[in-house]
Amino acid sequence: MPKPMLELDNVHTYYDHIHALKGISLTVNEGEIVALIGGNGAGKTTTLRTISGMMKPRTGSMTFEGQTIAGIPAHHIMQKGISHVPEGRRIFKDMSVRENLDVGAYTVTDRTLIESRIQEGFGFFPRLKEREHQLGGTMSGGEQQMLAIARALMVAPRLLLLDEPSMGLSPLFVEAIFDIIVKLNKERGTTVLLVEQNANMALQIAHRAYVLQTGEIKLSGNAADIAQDESVRKAYLGDE
Amino acid sequence: MELSTLLPFLANVIVGGLVLGFVYAIIALGYTMVYGVLQLINFAHSEVFVTGAVVGFEVFRVLAPVSMNGYLKLLIALLAAMTISGLLNVIIERLAYRPLRGAPKLVPLITAIGVSLILQDVLRVIEGFQGRFDLTYTLPTGFAAPFCGPESSCVGFGKFLTGIGVSLQLKDVILIVVSLLSLAVLNYIVNRTRMGKAIRAVAQDRVTAGLMGIDGNRMISATFLIGGALGGISGVLFGMKFGTVNAYSGFIPGVTAFTAAVLGGIGSIPGAVLGGLLLGVLEKLIGVSNVFGELLGIKNLAVIDDSYSKLGAFIALVLILIFKPTGLLGKSNVEKV
Repeated sequence: MPKPMLELDNVHTYYDHIHALKGISLTVNEGEIVALIGGNGAGKTTTLRTISGMMKPRTGSMTFEGQTIAGIPAHHIMQKGISHVPEGRRIFKDMSVRENLDVGAYTVTDRTLIESRIQEGFGFFPRLKEREHQLGGTMSGGEQQMLAIARALMVAPRLLLLDEPSMGLSPLFVEAIFDIIVKLNKERGTTVLLVEQNANMALQIAHRAYVLQTGEIKLSGNAADIAQDESVRKAYLGDE
Repeated sequence: MELSTLLPFLANVIVGGLVLGFVYAIIALGYTMVYGVLQLINFAHSEVFVTGAVVGFEVFRVLAPVSMNGYLKLLIALLAAMTISGLLNVIIERLAYRPLRGAPKLVPLITAIGVSLILQDVLRVIEGFQGRFDLTYTLPTGFAAPFCGPESSCVGFGKFLTGIGVSLQLKDVILIVVSLLSLAVLNYIVNRTRMGKAIRAVAQDRVTAGLMGIDGNRMISATFLIGGALGGISGVLFGMKFGTVNAYSGFIPGVTAFTAAVLGGIGSIPGAVLGGLLLGVLEKLIGVSNVFGELLGIKNLAVIDDSYSKLGAFIALVLILIFKPTGLLGKSNVEKV
């Protein structure tokens, strides 16, 4: 019996007057990788932003491990065990790789724990170790993505929200990053909610998926079934 | 003027400029740090600075009859000024700027000017009730004495100074030492501590800092506290150096320090220090234009006497804004996507 970790019920979010999420309901169970797919402007990013508290839902309920998180500031939601790797990576460009990781560990007070997690991050992404003292802004897009993920892992989140981790990356980097996501999920049991433009890749590693269209959920189910769905194949998987 | 007298003369001008420049630098840090986190020019900082000067005056006044080590009096004055100026700055942010967080940038800017005017009169009233307008510092004995007496008795830094023909008062040297210590502590806080890194994260990207669990408002308050405390320190140093302050004394040093922050690149901490020192020296150099006029055979330069010295900062401000708006050490605002 799957154990629900994150539950959204009829969530509505607005950008000023633009109605971006029109009643999203979704569930992420503990230990799952769930993919959110859909075209531009479907509301994928807004869904993640609403969950992490970057945006406030106007109505609807959101619970994480049974506690309500709707309307709570981002810095409190994060402390419940949710890490959000935002769209565009948003690393701190004027800080070194290590400083970025230090900031990621802001809520961790144990120095030795921080150090061991930094080393773990370097284990996942050896590239970051080489660039330890380089300013974040001077690194390539792929390296910045690695840093953004490593930074989010500094708090050992139970739920990881990933927004377009493959955006603008070379195929080699994309593969490396997807490998890490699977590894985190399998070895650590980290639950993942993944937003991806690259629906093919996302459906390959996800257990379940939701298809969004103009702020609403059009379809949901097992990732394998969704990958076979005719309309999805046409719209998002490049089938003619 | 002979070369043998010109060199010591210039050395005096430059060292004097650096002493003044340290005051500007410490004030400029208050502007630049607040700008860094809020992109707001806190025009009330000049009054936060004067508040520090007034607190310093009061501490020295009250302690004047007390027989106590002069350095201990200075320490008490500095700590009191840091605390009161720091808290004042935090309160200003809470009451005047935070409610306007989402407003267009011009709105908090005008508010800052308003806060500045209000505080000037509050300070005037507080001291005015006691029949005082110009507050003259009663410095501990010895502070106004030459830093070191006959050349033969000088050692170390004093020997170096007299060697190049520079004479300073003890209080000038204290000013330099306090400034350098403040800079060292600030550098440590900003670059090494957890709070300092959080402040920098908030300055770069407040929303993402929130995703790291950092409470942006708390870090903004911390920045106002640190910036205000630096304003308090600079107020005491200013009062010590010039001897007299009043409620309106903040304007010129405030604008000069703001210019220093822009010159160095607003938002940049090393930039504020560099800008402050440069403007201090520039001001002193303008003050002795008559000497350059004489040297170059341009008689008209002699007209530019000390009263024009403050003009340097404003000319510098105009030139920077035209030719290098990002300042000497500032970064361009172009965001890479």
